[in-house]
Amino acid sequence: MVTVFGIRHHGPGSARSLRAELEKLRPDLLLVEGPPDADGMISLAGLAEMVPPVALLITLPNRPQEAVYYPFAEFSPEWQAILFGVRAGIPVRFMDLRQAHQLGVETPEEKDEGLDPFAMVAEAAGYSDGERWWEHFVEQRREGGTVFKGILELMTALRAEAERLPGGVRERDLLREAAMREIIRAGQAQGYQRIAVVCGAWHAPVLAELEYFSDDAKLLKGLPKQDVAVTWVPWTYDRLARYSGYGAGIASPGWYEHLWRTDEQIVEQWMVKVAQMLRAEDLYISPAHAIEATRLADTLAALRGRPLPGLPELLEAVQAVMCFGDDAPMRLIGEKLLVAQKMGRIPDAAPTVPLQRDLAAQQKRLRLEPSASPEAIDLDLRKPLLLERSQLLHRLGLLGIHWGRLREARGAKGTFHEIWQMEWKPEFAVVVIEASLWGNTVLEAAANKVQAEATRATELPVLTRLVEGALLADLPEAIPGLLTRVQQAAAISSDIPHLMEALPPLANVLRYGNVRNTDASMVTQVVDELVTRICIGLPAACQSLDDEAAGEVFEKINQVQSALAVIQNEAHEQAWTGALSHLADQERVHGLVRGRAARLIFDRSPEEAVAALRMSQALSPGTPTGQSAAWVEGFFHSSGQALIHHPRLWQLLDTWLVELPEEPFRAVLPLLRRVFSTFSAAERRQIGELAKNNGLMVVETGEIDVDPVRARKALALVAFILGGGTGAE
Amino acid sequence: MPALLREHAEQQFAEELAELVKTDKRQRPPNWKLSPWAVATYLLGGKLENGFTVSPKYIGSRRVIEIAIATLATDRALLLLGVPGTAKTWVSEHLAAAISGDSTLLIQGTAGTAEESIRYGWNYALLLAEGPSERAITPSPVMTAMRMGKLARVEELTRIPADVQDTLITILSEKTLPIPELDSEVQAVKGFNVIATANNRDKGVNELSSALRRRFNTVVLPLPATLDEEVDIVRRRVESLGRALELPAEPPALEEIRRIVTIFRELRGGVTGDGKTKLKPPSGTLSTAEAISVVNSGLALAAHFGDGKMRAHDMAAGLVGAVIKDPVQDRIVWQEYLETVAKERKDWKDLYRACKDLNE
Repeated sequence: MVTVFGIRHHGPGSARSLRAELEKLRPDLLLVEGPPDADGMISLAGLAEMVPPVALLITLPNRPQEAVYYPFAEFSPEWQAILFGVRAGIPVRFMDLRQAHQLGVETPEEKDEGLDPFAMVAEAAGYSDGERWWEHFVEQRREGGTVFKGILELMTALRAEAERLPGGVRERDLLREAAMREIIRAGQAQGYQRIAVVCGAWHAPVLAELEYFSDDAKLLKGLPKQDVAVTWVPWTYDRLARYSGYGAGIASPGWYEHLWRTDEQIVEQWMVKVAQMLRAEDLYISPAHAIEATRLADTLAALRGRPLPGLPELLEAVQAVMCFGDDAPMRLIGEKLLVAQKMGRIPDAAPTVPLQRDLAAQQKRLRLEPSASPEAIDLDLRKPLLLERSQLLHRLGLLGIHWGRLREARGAKGTFHEIWQMEWKPEFAVVVIEASLWGNTVLEAAANKVQAEATRATELPVLTRLVEGALLADLPEAIPGLLTRVQQAAAISSDIPHLMEALPPLANVLRYGNVRNTDASMVTQVVDELVTRICIGLPAACQSLDDEAAGEVFEKINQVQSALAVIQNEAHEQAWTGALSHLADQERVHGLVRGRAARLIFDRSPEEAVAALRMSQALSPGTPTGQSAAWVEGFFHSSGQALIHHPRLWQLLDTWLVELPEEPFRAVLPLLRRVFSTFSAAERRQIGELAKNNGLMVVETGEIDVDPVRARKALALVAFILGGGTGAE
Repeated sequence: MPALLREHAEQQFAEELAELVKTDKRQRPPNWKLSPWAVATYLLGGKLENGFTVSPKYIGSRRVIEIAIATLATDRALLLLGVPGTAKTWVSEHLAAAISGDSTLLIQGTAGTAEESIRYGWNYALLLAEGPSERAITPSPVMTAMRMGKLARVEELTRIPADVQDTLITILSEKTLPIPELDSEVQAVKGFNVIATANNRDKGVNELSSALRRRFNTVVLPLPATLDEEVDIVRRRVESLGRALELPAEPPALEEIRRIVTIFRELRGGVTGDGKTKLKPPSGTLSTAEAISVVNSGLALAAHFGDGKMRAHDMAAGLVGAVIKDPVQDRIVWQEYLETVAKERKDWKDLYRACKDLNE
């Protein structure tokens, strides 16, 4: 006898009913919808070290990027069926079309998803979508009983309708169902008496029709076939929420887990859970809130004609009662509550994952064997092999596998060398397995992880670091997405120093075309927007800074200045100069910043009069001495040229210094010393000369003794170097 | 009888209410004139079994109205929050009309609202002549509602001084109003409840105490969901206001209104209409009501100082005033918007120029 149980994938209600029915039926063979390629993996599910959510991963050994995942959560009916079978010693088999026939084969993409049967039923019953209907009528039932019989009847009627419509049933489904029937028949042939079949409700009606075996055999004949590799990988609720191997993902695994684990007082327990989470976020939620929220949820459900409050009623009640109508607290706990970040574990006995194999292959190819004893390696990035090593290490770093740690590059900037401190640790093996949920090759996994992190990150510097990381690891396909995120974060960030920090790496990208295959116009746009925002926001951001903050802004201004020098864009220059003049003339801006701004403007258009005016204001008695000194530091930092070549500036500085009373003079002396120490030795000497001569440039005009004979000899050579004719006199 | 300037909801929609009572077969909470389902139909509109069509009073999310009705059915008080122009008062009036058949038990919250207007006052002539007595009490709308099992409405709850607000705590939790002078009390009859409204953007005016807050279920009335819906609201209001003020100007072009509403929505939502560019939201509300006033003042400028046709520079001043509430932060927000969004739009050149001129 064959008993078919139509379930909803990842439906806790289905799982609960199914468990009860299986206990009652005590089948001698259990067939579960899933890839028969993975039959060998089923026994591992019973091990104690196996903790869902986990997924079956099927790949082509030579093309690991061709992969298909079958995720299971604790509340998946399939998982519960497998556990039941394995623990009770009943043989369990998967039942579907083998992935060996499907994987990597280009199928003509079926554009139309076919008809969604549940959507039709739901519409007829007045629900917004099929999921809600199913949830209401099937998942929320707390007792088993006749539910599977009802589902089978309903699905039979629906299938009959769908089959009459063109395209109502997909070709692929027909093929898969034929394969499922073949597996059921094989079970019967082996003499099993009570066969339990667990499959998606949509397939249930046709699996009992076992008599037309020759039709099925014809359908399945001549399918392509290839070798596949199968293993278990850890999965996360997060990924379950986004997509699952069965098509659409489930939106709220956390809620499903609650439904599965809670036997009674579901609403009350949920409210208590929410209240506790909100309390953990320092919001004061009393038990009275939980009581009132429960009452409101129940009333809402009654008003909407539901037997039990569903997730929407619960969330609305929480918002109205506990959060005072505000949705911010819910956003705070929403992900924790609904998605319930959780990662599964798999036993050591599971076969290696493709990512491990890919890593091993790359290690071999790049001749970089893992070793537990620390050693340093020096990579010359101009050599292709060494460059690839560096990229591999950067990629692994992004995946959290810190096999090599990059030491500060030695020497000047722009070196072609990277020094890595290498050490392989045993726990990396686990990290590799965990990382395998991001992809099956190091490249793919790193790119996916970077993108996922980018969607979560909100801080601009984190994002630009990711961009930098992606560039170093050579992940061109991740770059456009990252840039979009940078753009979004820049738009809402009011932290101008963050924006300024983000500019230089992007400017470098533009200048050196570091990004392969990256849409240059996109980077340009991001840079344009960044510059615009910086120029608009800078004057306001520089108000009332203390010394430390001013020091930071000073650094940032210098960075932006050099970044803009790299880009060389007329419009940017103009906007930047505008922002700087604003800064230079604002009263409440710190002296250091004002001095720097004045200097940068002066460098661009050396109008001595303007600079002198600014300096005279900054150094006039109305300005506190500390601010004046800071101004001098900002203006003359790391170059005394302006001081040497512009007598008026010299004069102003000189006058100010001379007129300083003793006390303030002592106070500014260390600062001035610091400024002058940033000048080159030659500059300092020249300044000393000037001071000796009371600010007047001394030009040596005295007679020099020249030996005409020796001079003539040299002249010939000079003329030759200058490209002149013969050694004229 | 002379024509009323404005009728109460229960007067204006008397026919609809009567039809609803006739067809409503569902269970009614004690002292409710209609069942919760019929109340929802009254607010959201629909067709009755006998073919009678009920006009929608509230256009927007069904969810919000359902939560509001469910709250009143659980005997918790209802607090409607929202920025100006989200129909808080309108919803509260219609809820009271549908549930109690009476929307007149109303307290208008102001800074000068005293405890007497929430509890009870005295007829001082009687008080002096006879001493404290039942007869000398002037009941407040809340007291009346408690006695009759009806809904009392409190408008602009957060404008009432905090100590006066707290008078509501006993009323809402114990459902009783003590009268110590007479050593008696008024106990609320079933069906009594309170609907309060407050503007959630003028937080800090008189923030509700947490004790009072806990006695309310809060429903936030959202801003119009789509651009077209909001443009429509602004257009209707501007046209009717224009008629009332008898402005000698042409009705504004739909395109101009659309631009204003687009700017408001984009800044309010922090993202451009096409969803591509994120924006900093300004500190102000940018409510639909403000959009209406921007268009109106632009219209007045055009009428009195222009050629009667509203143009970009007529709107610019009002627009800048509406957006820039904080002179530092909002100016940055506005400049960024102009430079990164408005400047890029081809047919917005005039508006960009006009706003730019004002900035300088």
